[in-house]
Amino acid sequence: MTDPKGQRPAISRRDLLRAAGAAGAAALIPDTVGAVTPDAMGVVTPDAMGVVTEEAPPAGPPPSNTGEERVGRPLSSGRPLIAGPLTNLTARETEVLGAMVDRLIPTDELGPGALDAGVLRFIDRALSESESDAAEAYRSGLAALDAYSQYTRGGPFVDLSTIDQDSVLIDVQTGAATGAGAGFVGSSGSFFNLVKDHTWQGMFGDPQYGGNVDFAGWDLIDYPGVRLAVSPEDQKNLEANQLQPVRRSAYDLGLFE
Amino acid sequence: MKVSVSVVWGSALLLTAGAVTGLRAQTPTTFIVESPRMGTGRFMPRDYSPDGKNLSPPLTWRGLPEGTRQLAVISQDYGAGRPPPWVHWIIYNIPGTAAGLPEGIPFDPDHPMPTQVAGAVQGNNGWGLPAYRGPAPPVGSVHHYHFSVFALDAELDLPPGLDRSELLEAIEGHVIGQGDMVTLYERQPMNEFAPR
Repeated sequence: MTDPKGQRPAISRRDLLRAAGAAGAAALIPDTVGAVTPDAMGVVTPDAMGVVTEEAPPAGPPPSNTGEERVGRPLSSGRPLIAGPLTNLTARETEVLGAMVDRLIPTDELGPGALDAGVLRFIDRALSESESDAAEAYRSGLAALDAYSQYTRGGPFVDLSTIDQDSVLIDVQTGAATGAGAGFVGSSGSFFNLVKDHTWQGMFGDPQYGGNVDFAGWDLIDYPGVRLAVSPEDQKNLEANQLQPVRRSAYDLGLFE
Repeated sequence: MKVSVSVVWGSALLLTAGAVTGLRAQTPTTFIVESPRMGTGRFMPRDYSPDGKNLSPPLTWRGLPEGTRQLAVISQDYGAGRPPPWVHWIIYNIPGTAAGLPEGIPFDPDHPMPTQVAGAVQGNNGWGLPAYRGPAPPVGSVHHYHFSVFALDAELDLPPGLDRSELLEAIEGHVIGQGDMVTLYERQPMNEFAPR
């Protein structure tokens, strides 16, 4: 995969999945990627969902709630954001988050990435429902990501080359962005893990929750699909890599009425 | 005067280098490690920190012992880590003919190394990433960053992704020389530093 801005080849999706410790699977339980303590300070704690919310969000315009504004402009890659009418994220937040998840799981020769799989919609919806406690962490984290990009790489995150975006994300993941004064609340690694966990969930979780559009995530990892029973023949086919995948939501099985 | 201080400091470090790296003494000779952008006892430019572009810094070396077939580099901070050191960068399988490392070694493991260090691979740093990650110490504290270069008497063809202890174990018995450069870094967060 090549950097569309003509620099070095970008990290492939498979590399990023590997680097971030992706285990694959359709589990909805967030993993806790345990990064360790760097520099005595940029402590990347193995976080769960809850990143800090006790501090006021960085100064700036209040979140917009008009649907039109949420569509945002195309990503630096030139592809439009697939956001639809979102209810939580502002237009600017949608752009920054879109660029971030696009680097975590980019669309490439292996298939659709996080944007095409509806991860933005999944996250936005989750922030209204089960993950509402994380909404403020997103707000402050996305603003901090942009500020850190501006400070260290000379431009807003969405305008950086994909190589610089990856480089910034490594800084954020490893906690280096924590003490930069960009406004990360707690460790920048916690924010990275929060978004990464949600991206994984939106990519590989059940489509019922708004992500994994067209089962893009399951296709990516060759997930055989939700089955109520596995026959000996299914098992044999699975081991021979010849099992036909089932592509339906667990909710279509009628077990959750 | 500045040079003298640097030399004295460098010599002291070289005397203790075997102990601090954990390598058993093999009567290695010492050689000089330098950089066109920084040096022992000097502050690292911001570009080599996450406060800048987080590029790996250029390194050069001279006076390698005869018989050097390969080189390995570890960058580490003895003021961090539990236990110390905290590892910022590991790169090895560097051809013995190389005179140094150019700036900006790619962090993409699939991207080819620069021609002069073709064949080199990166090990896992303290964050478990096979790439350079520069210094970002707590604001208000100066940390020391050791760039230790090991001259090896064999072409070891080690796999990528070794961590520090795995690398040190793998090169034990092959180290015929070592050079060190110890640089400094102090963080200047954006509210104390005008954005570019």
